[in-house]
Amino acid sequence: MIAQKFEYTAPKSLDEALHLLSSGAKPLAGGMSLIPMMKLRLAVPEHLVDLRALKDLNYIREAGGQLHIGATASHYEIESSALLRQKCPLLTETAASIGDVQVRNMGTIGGSVAHADPAADYPAALAALEAKFVLKGAKAERTVSAADFFVDAFSTALQPGEILREVIVPIDDARTGTSYKKMVQPASGFAIVGVAARVRQNAGKVSFVRLGITGLSNHAYRATAAEKALEGKPATPNDIQNAAALVTQGVDANSDLHASADYRRHLAVVHAARAIGTAISRIA
Amino acid sequence: MKISGSYTLPVAPERAYQILQDPAILARAMPGCESLEKIGPDEYRMKMKVLLAALSGEFEGKMRIADQAPPTSFRLIVEGSGRIGFLKGDGLLKLAPAATVRVLSAAPSEPPETIVSYEGDAQVGGTMAAVGQRLIDGTSKMMIKKFFDKLASLATDQRDS
Amino acid sequence: MATTTTKTETFVGKRVRRREDPRLITGTATYVEDIQMPGMHYAVILRSPHAAARIRSIKAKQAEAAPGVVCVFTGKDTKGVGVVPCGIAMPDLRVPQHNILATDRVYFVGHPVAVVVARDRYLARDAAELIEVDYDILPAVADPEKALTKGAPAVHPQWPDNIAFTYHQDGGNVDKVFAEADVVVKQRIVSQRLVPMAMETRGVVAEWRGADRQLNLYTSTQIPHLVRTLVAGMLGLEENRTRVIAPEVGGGFGSKLNVYAEEALMGFVSMRIQKPVKWIESRRENFTCTTHGRGHVDYYEIAAKRDGTILGIKLKLIQDVGAYHQLLTPLIPQLSVLMMPGLYNTQNIRADIVGVFTNCVPTDAYRGAGRPEATHGIERMVDILAAELKMDPAQIRLKNFVTKDKFPYATATGLMYDSGDYAAPLKKALDLVGYVKLRQEQADLRKQGKYMGIGISTYGEICAIGPSPATPAGGWESATVKIEPSGKITILTGACPHGQGEETTFAQIAADELGVGLDDILVTRGDTAVVQYGIGTFGSRATAVGGTALYYALQDLKAKIKKFGAMLLESDDVTLVGGQVVCDKTGKAKPLREIAGASYRALKLPPNTEPGLIATRFWEPPNFTFPFGAHIVVTDIDSETGQIKVRRYVAVDDCGNILNPLIVDGQVHGGVAQGLGQALWEQAVYDDNGQLITGELTDYALPRAHLMPWIESHHTCTPSPVNPLGVKGVGEAGTIGCSPAVVNSAVDALSPLGVRHIDMPLTPEKIWKLLAKKN
Ligand SMILES: Cc1cc2nc3c(=O)[nH]c(=O)nc-3n(C[C@H](O)[C@H](O)[C@H](O)COP(=O)(O)OP(=O)(O)OC[C@H]3O[C@@H](n4cnc5c(N)ncnc54)[C@H](O)[C@@H]3O)c2cc1C
Repeated sequence: MIAQKFEYTAPKSLDEALHLLSSGAKPLAGGMSLIPMMKLRLAVPEHLVDLRALKDLNYIREAGGQLHIGATASHYEIESSALLRQKCPLLTETAASIGDVQVRNMGTIGGSVAHADPAADYPAALAALEAKFVLKGAKAERTVSAADFFVDAFSTALQPGEILREVIVPIDDARTGTSYKKMVQPASGFAIVGVAARVRQNAGKVSFVRLGITGLSNHAYRATAAEKALEGKPATPNDIQNAAALVTQGVDANSDLHASADYRRHLAVVHAARAIGTAISRIA
Repeated sequence: MKISGSYTLPVAPERAYQILQDPAILARAMPGCESLEKIGPDEYRMKMKVLLAALSGEFEGKMRIADQAPPTSFRLIVEGSGRIGFLKGDGLLKLAPAATVRVLSAAPSEPPETIVSYEGDAQVGGTMAAVGQRLIDGTSKMMIKKFFDKLASLATDQRDS
Repeated sequence: MATTTTKTETFVGKRVRRREDPRLITGTATYVEDIQMPGMHYAVILRSPHAAARIRSIKAKQAEAAPGVVCVFTGKDTKGVGVVPCGIAMPDLRVPQHNILATDRVYFVGHPVAVVVARDRYLARDAAELIEVDYDILPAVADPEKALTKGAPAVHPQWPDNIAFTYHQDGGNVDKVFAEADVVVKQRIVSQRLVPMAMETRGVVAEWRGADRQLNLYTSTQIPHLVRTLVAGMLGLEENRTRVIAPEVGGGFGSKLNVYAEEALMGFVSMRIQKPVKWIESRRENFTCTTHGRGHVDYYEIAAKRDGTILGIKLKLIQDVGAYHQLLTPLIPQLSVLMMPGLYNTQNIRADIVGVFTNCVPTDAYRGAGRPEATHGIERMVDILAAELKMDPAQIRLKNFVTKDKFPYATATGLMYDSGDYAAPLKKALDLVGYVKLRQEQADLRKQGKYMGIGISTYGEICAIGPSPATPAGGWESATVKIEPSGKITILTGACPHGQGEETTFAQIAADELGVGLDDILVTRGDTAVVQYGIGTFGSRATAVGGTALYYALQDLKAKIKKFGAMLLESDDVTLVGGQVVCDKTGKAKPLREIAGASYRALKLPPNTEPGLIATRFWEPPNFTFPFGAHIVVTDIDSETGQIKVRRYVAVDDCGNILNPLIVDGQVHGGVAQGLGQALWEQAVYDDNGQLITGELTDYALPRAHLMPWIESHHTCTPSPVNPLGVKGVGEAGTIGCSPAVVNSAVDALSPLGVRHIDMPLTPEKIWKLLAKKN
């Protein structure tokens, strides 16, 4: 548990940070994923740039009808944000389900999504929210969608030298209900499977539904077949069950010590039905 | 750990068999491969650098090809180690023309395809094994997919040229 | 303040807050890692990544030349050091030579191969990576049953059958009762390997003082005196010049009831470099190199009459030994056999143990050591028998208990149960949980397709280990009580408690005996240069054996105090009460402080009396003690996911007299937590190649605070006649009672599906598969 020697910089500005990153340094956020790997020497960065030194990356604010969350907002800050609780309760609920108090105090949304652990919680919610990710390099800034951001296990659209600056999520109207349901892996706290549901109803029928799934395969995804199956339906238990049964369609499920691929698929269906049901029950 | 799966390469079996054993192509297709040199008949030495988000590791190892039955099957034996652990793999690759499957729908002009199916055993040891349980299945799938994607694009490049 | 408070207040039996806690919870306690010394160096150990391999060569040149590195030692250098000891002698025990560093072969992942010593731990760790070991990898075997099959890789080439030892015990007439029985039920039951996981990993600081031929060894251990004797022997040192200090110990649970290679290795290093050296075990090393617990595969058979009367029990016990014997490895399954009949009145038992070498880290004591396995076995079997006979699990137990008029009760395994009333805690637990109503609710829920289970376990345990003839080292314990000239009291206990609470309970005992306040008393432990020889804390023994030694030392001292008091009061009729000696006739009194002062000043001495107020006792217990109890667990199973939720946990434990209910609650809670860990979450999994794949806390699921159910802890009280305190021991009760109650509950819930047994841990996926099979 002894890391290799490394340099550490607390940058004064985003430009300084990006400059250092372009010469090979690695961003450090909450350290909850990076530091354990460094202690085991599974990661051996030579130079860390501490993004939390940049106060202007830490914010949660509303602008232009959307919510902007700075990369270094901690899980705890998201979980306890009054603004998010009111305007994007899916994110507060998801943040509250991450690991334990210590991890939530230290870990950041930027670090979590940049790390792109296949079992991380946020990606399910961010897929369901069709979040946008603002990536900044030394030269330019670009925005990518959740669908394009999560590429594979531990792989994202981030290019070397780029940082994730902020995550943008929409503000739903009052007819929307959301829910995040997760089967917890008891050792790590990560999701064996997690499902985020975002459902809108109109005149007794589901008018809009987004389902984000994490933990099942190498990266979070939207279960579009299930979404389609539910849209336009009155959302009877049967409708929900039939839609949920489609969330694993075409997905190559992972398997490990904690859950076989079959069990994971089953859990995804169960949790999808539960998340949809709860989301609907929460529609104001 | 058992590994199995299949991938469709956009070339005929003979060609697929050939590129799957072409060190120059393999070196380019294997994710993180830094070098691959022949050290004997059907035996290669390789260096790989794996970079996955925060994780990074360098491996040095050997690759051996055995039980050759062109163009239908061969065995691949890989052994590598680095400071984060070691891995050993032994797998059988089978090649079959995809056309048999699409006999009815395939237009005669459609380019030939080969289904490569693989089945084998992989062993992981060291720090990687102890901490990576959650990650091994997913990452190995990803590496294999990356490999075949790259191989497919190299194969088509070559075919087109 | 040099006064001694005198009090009439008594402390024994009260919820006195733990006096050790302030330093523990404010982070001011001193652990091995906190020890700093001028010139101290740091050691990092290079360990085998392979479970079995021949070492072709080790190249350390590059590491030796690395910055800050003082030296690198390999097995060649440490050949003169004695082997890691196994403390058990038994016929046909095969003891492989356990060198402190591997020489030509490695036997398990984590096997120490070389040690790098450097100016700081970072440089040592960097240099360890530069050592090149050329391994010739050999086939390994990690599963004890596979290891027993023909053609399995031999862990030690000289013993191709992988058998480490066998042990047979027979009582009564097993063949006859099995032939005559109405029913025989059989089941294979696994008690999986567990990682004891002390919060503080192991660590050693060794300081060699050449001019004095003195080695000071700071080590996180439960048994400092035994470590001193054995490590001095390994290093060829004089025992009186070897000082072992166990500073604060952050948990042991049996994993520090041992003598480890690293303890001798650090002594060796310090002697070589003539400087103090520190080694702190990483969590990863703790997983792979510190002993594991359990590792049983048990084949049980129970013979019974149709009315539920148990006639006899057969057990074939396969113990996963690992690659070596550590200090007590072969003893642990023998404890299981001793405990085999549980609380039931049967005189016919047969047990066959086979200890099996595997390419894994050795197993040894872990909280309960052999008794949780035995209790899990018998308590599962009794439920299986009840199901077979369609009997209520509570009734079948009540029918078979050794009744309270039968004590002391001689078991077929050669024990003498001291005292008991086994029906009492079960009846109390049934009442508390509302058994009859719960069964009704269960019937209703079943109609709705819901799975709720009620699991009972009634356990007994062997505690207060133990009479010397029955233990590998002495089974006695020691205590010294010193009343200083100012009247302040120092207790030196040989039991070396390390967080269990004896700094409080021992002070309570002394305070009541002497009539003083708790603040006048200091309990000291853990330093062989300060404390007389002692055995240690394990096997729920510290209070029952060490507390009794203390009790007798206090009696000696009281007699002497009275002599001095009588002299000062010039009367023969005196009483020691409330911290003073009072003349029965005049009512005049002399406080302890004055008496202590006079005893050291020694201007005048009572006849045949030496100056000073010190007494030491070594107490040899005449028997073990046998606590018992009943745990009832109510679970609800999520029929879609297989997730088990513990709805109620009722524990009724009988540990004899209770000195401090708060501490007893704490012991029960901690014990139950570890029992739940085994029942629901924990498992040390080796793959077929001997790689420990649950080698970090991201994959090894420890019980967490937020996963704990509310534990309803209650008691009955049957004092032990074995010691004057009437105490039995409670350190392991929670662990022993817990796991069968949880599994019985889950099996009970799923019994409508025909489920009869489930092996631990009860992961949701296992339960889901059982549910899916049905649907
Ligand atoms: C005990 C434990 C339990 C946990 N349980 C859960 C759980 O239940 N659910 C869950 O989802 N997660 C869980 N986690 C992971 C946790 O959420 C981490 O906080 C998160 O994965 C990483 O965030 P971080 O801020 O700590 O990032 P770091 O560890 O500092 O960084 C992670 C990676 O992202 C890169 N990075 C960080 N910030 C940026 C950025 N802005 N732009 C580009 N790259 C960046 C770093 O270079 C590094 O490669 C757990 C972690 C622990 C230790």
